[in-house]
Amino acid sequence: MGSETMLLEVSGLYKAFKGNQVLSDINFSVEKGEIVSLLGQSGAGKTTIIRCVAGLERPDRGSISINGQYICREKDEKMAYAAKKELDQIRRQLGMVFQSYHLFPHMTVLKNVTLALTDVHKMSQAQAREKAMAMLKSLGLENKADSRPYELSGGQKQRVAIARSCVTNPRLLCFDEPTAALDPQTTREMTRIIKDLAGQGMGILIISHDIPFVKDVSDRVLMVEQGKIRSQQ
Amino acid sequence: MSYIIQILPQIMEGMGVTLGTFAVTLVLSIPIGALVSLCRVSRVRVLRWISGFYTWVLRGTPLLLQMFLIFFGLPAVGIRLFGRTRLPYVFFAFIINYAAYFAEIFRSGIQSVEKGQIEAAKLLGLSNAQINLKIVMPQVIKRTLPSIGNEIITLIKDTSLVYALGITEIFKIAKSISTRDVTLTPYIVVGVIYLILTAVITKLLNQAEKKVYYEE
Repeated sequence: MGSETMLLEVSGLYKAFKGNQVLSDINFSVEKGEIVSLLGQSGAGKTTIIRCVAGLERPDRGSISINGQYICREKDEKMAYAAKKELDQIRRQLGMVFQSYHLFPHMTVLKNVTLALTDVHKMSQAQAREKAMAMLKSLGLENKADSRPYELSGGQKQRVAIARSCVTNPRLLCFDEPTAALDPQTTREMTRIIKDLAGQGMGILIISHDIPFVKDVSDRVLMVEQGKIRSQQ
Repeated sequence: MSYIIQILPQIMEGMGVTLGTFAVTLVLSIPIGALVSLCRVSRVRVLRWISGFYTWVLRGTPLLLQMFLIFFGLPAVGIRLFGRTRLPYVFFAFIINYAAYFAEIFRSGIQSVEKGQIEAAKLLGLSNAQINLKIVMPQVIKRTLPSIGNEIITLIKDTSLVYALGITEIFKIAKSISTRDVTLTPYIVVGVIYLILTAVITKLLNQAEKKVYYEE
C-alpha cells in the first residue's frame, strides 16, 4: 500500500465458478484521477473483476482495497470479507455504471438521481434536488429531470446512470461496457465526460472490448485474456 | 317486479355477511400473502420450504374442503380458536386460502424485477428494507395488479360458498326463498347483485391500475 493517491488496489485475485477458473492472479491498481481500462473479449473475466471490486461477487483468494479500506483480503491463510455495514461504508466511495444502466423505471430521472441523497445520505429534499439538478445540468440533462427512463435514448439513460452514481461524490467510478450501445458521436461525448470526471480527481475503471474507444480515453490499458492480465500498455 | 321489490329486503339482510367475508378476507390475505411471498424468495431454505408447502396445500385442495375442516374439524378436536362465534372460522379459512394465491402472484412479481436494479440500489447504499419498499414493491404492485384484480373478483363470488356451512348470506337467503315460493327469480336477483358488485370492483380496479401505471 503505497501513496496517498492510490484509490483501488487489486492483488492476487482468484475466482472460480463451479470448478471453472474465471480469474487467476489478477493484479492492478487505479490512482486518483487516473483512467484505467480492462480490455478483452467477452468471457475473458472482465465483468467478474468489476463485480468483485463492487463487492457483488466474492473472490476465492486475493485482496481488493478501495481508498485503503479492504473489501476482501487474505488473513492467516483465510479469506476475510468486509461485513455488510463495512461494505456499505466502502461502497460510498464507489460508483458503478452498468452496461444496461438499470435505472429505476418507476421513478423520474430526478428521483433516480436524488434517491441515494435523500435515503442514504439523509439530505433534505430541497438540498438533494439542487445537487441533482446541478449534476444533470453538467451532463446536459437539465430538461429531462421530469422524464421517465423509457422516454430517453440509450445515451441519455447512460448519462442518467452516471449522474445517479456521481451525485454522491464517489472516488472511484466503474463503467461496464460504456460504449456497447452508443453510436460514434455519443461515444465521443462519453469519452469527454469520462475525461472530465477524471480531471476532477475521480479514479475511473472501465471494462470494454471497444479498442478505439479504450485507446482514446484511457491512461492505461490492461489486456484481459482467459482470466489473466496479459499485458499493460 | 313487485315480487322482486318484496324479496329484496330479505336478501339484503345477508349482505353484511357477504361483504364482511369479502372485506375481511381482502384486507388480511393480501399482507399475509405478501409475507408468504417474501418467504418464497427468501435466502433461508427452511422458509422457502415451509412457504412452498403452505401454498401447495392451500392451492391444491378445494376451498370448500378447507372451510369444512376449519369450521367443523378444528372445534371437533378441541381447537376453538375463536370460541363459539362462527364467522371468524369462515374468515380464517378464506384468509389462509386467498393468502396462498396472492403469495404466488406476488412471488412472480418479485422475480420479474430486474436483478440489476437491485444490485444498482445496493451499490447506492440502500438497505434491504429500502430496496424492498422503494424499488421492488412499486414495480410488483404495478405488474401484479391485473392478476390481483382477478382474484378479488373471484373472491366476491366465492363468498357464496359460506352458505354450505349453514351461515346466512345472500345466496342462502335466495335459496330458501326459492324453495318457499317455488320460483327461480331469487337466484336471478342475487345474480344481478353479484354483477353489480363486480362492476363496482372492476371500476375501482381500473382506476387503481391507471394510478400505478407507468411506461417501461
